[in-house]
Amino acid sequence: MKIRFNLFDEECVLNLIPKVFKKIFPRIREDEGSAETAGKSADPEHSDKKLSPAEISPPAVKEESMPSRDEDENPFSNPPELRRVIQAPVLIENLFPPESTEVLIKAQPSTNHDQCLFRINRPVLPGYSWWFGKFEDAQGSPLAERLFSIDGVEAVLVHEDTVTITRLEKTGLDWKPLAGEVGTAVREVMQQGTPLIAEKIIREMPSEDEIRSGIQRAIDTEVNPGVAGHGGNVTLNSIKGDTITIQMGGGCQGCSAADVTLKQGIHRTFREQVPFVGAIYDETDHAAGLNPYF
Amino acid sequence: MPKLMNFKLQIETGEPGMAGPVLFTINNHKLPLENIQGTTDPGGVFEGGFDVNSFAHSLTLVGPEKGQWHIRKIKVDYECGDSAPYTVTFGEVTLDETTEVNIWKDPPLPTFDV
Repeated sequence: MKIRFNLFDEECVLNLIPKVFKKIFPRIREDEGSAETAGKSADPEHSDKKLSPAEISPPAVKEESMPSRDEDENPFSNPPELRRVIQAPVLIENLFPPESTEVLIKAQPSTNHDQCLFRINRPVLPGYSWWFGKFEDAQGSPLAERLFSIDGVEAVLVHEDTVTITRLEKTGLDWKPLAGEVGTAVREVMQQGTPLIAEKIIREMPSEDEIRSGIQRAIDTEVNPGVAGHGGNVTLNSIKGDTITIQMGGGCQGCSAADVTLKQGIHRTFREQVPFVGAIYDETDHAAGLNPYF
Repeated sequence: MPKLMNFKLQIETGEPGMAGPVLFTINNHKLPLENIQGTTDPGGVFEGGFDVNSFAHSLTLVGPEKGQWHIRKIKVDYECGDSAPYTVTFGEVTLDETTEVNIWKDPPLPTFDV
């Protein structure tokens, strides 16, 4: 028998072992499966036929008893099941007493203290969000005009029943003095009873499809080519009104610079290319998956 | 990320429900919940928990092996090593054999009235 094999091919070598064994001991019968049967047939005293010493063989090894590579318990043959992690909305319940007639406001500074979220027990801009990046943008919107009159306010984001203030001073830790002024300003404007935000903003608002296609174009042409250099990618998850939710993947997921990339790069690009985009939320779970902090 | 001592889940199921066992993953290890009671049939309320005593990088509720599972609400009570116990309520979500839903939230940021 001519056997051709490659010593560097592990599978070939493993398949070769039983063939060589069979070549050396040609009397191994295919039906000698159990050790008991094999032992009995090998014992000349218990055998009907007398065997020569050369014919006395060690316990038979059936070729099929050798596990093939396919039957091996290979830990890599069944990789762990990968499921997509989705995010459910977090419900804020019983934040304010429902019967209250007063304007109630709760302030929540962000972890790095550059922004503060104000939840109000009154609608501010139902169904939409709007970003006022500078004082000139606030013209015609009494709430935003009043908020920009406070020293230290850099930008204002309104969404449903919330107002988020970004302040100029990034290093200060205590939001209470500025938050108190913001609360007073919000109450003043709400008690006037006039529209809080310019009506032309909603009147001129493009459709969700237009905003979606604009954002997708910005992602495809500018954002993703930019983050691809670091193995990252950004996807548009959902759009509601002019509020969008994105997700960062690849090298962006869990990256320590993700927040800077989001605020300095992605937000700026979106707002330049799609001026009608409102709030931009990042839905990335930066600690999840098999490869965070890549 | 704080050390998670234990958590308790309360799941309100919508339509359709789920027939299989309720599983969760912690740091990508899939486990069944302990001290379970209730049901995941349509309209049912299921409760369970787990003593983690470790640092949770990710915590998810695993979708069914087959079909869909509509969840109306998930209420999670967390007990962490270095902060007061807190509760987070998640809204509607539909899971299937390809998905799991994140049920981990850091302790809420402090708020104050203005």
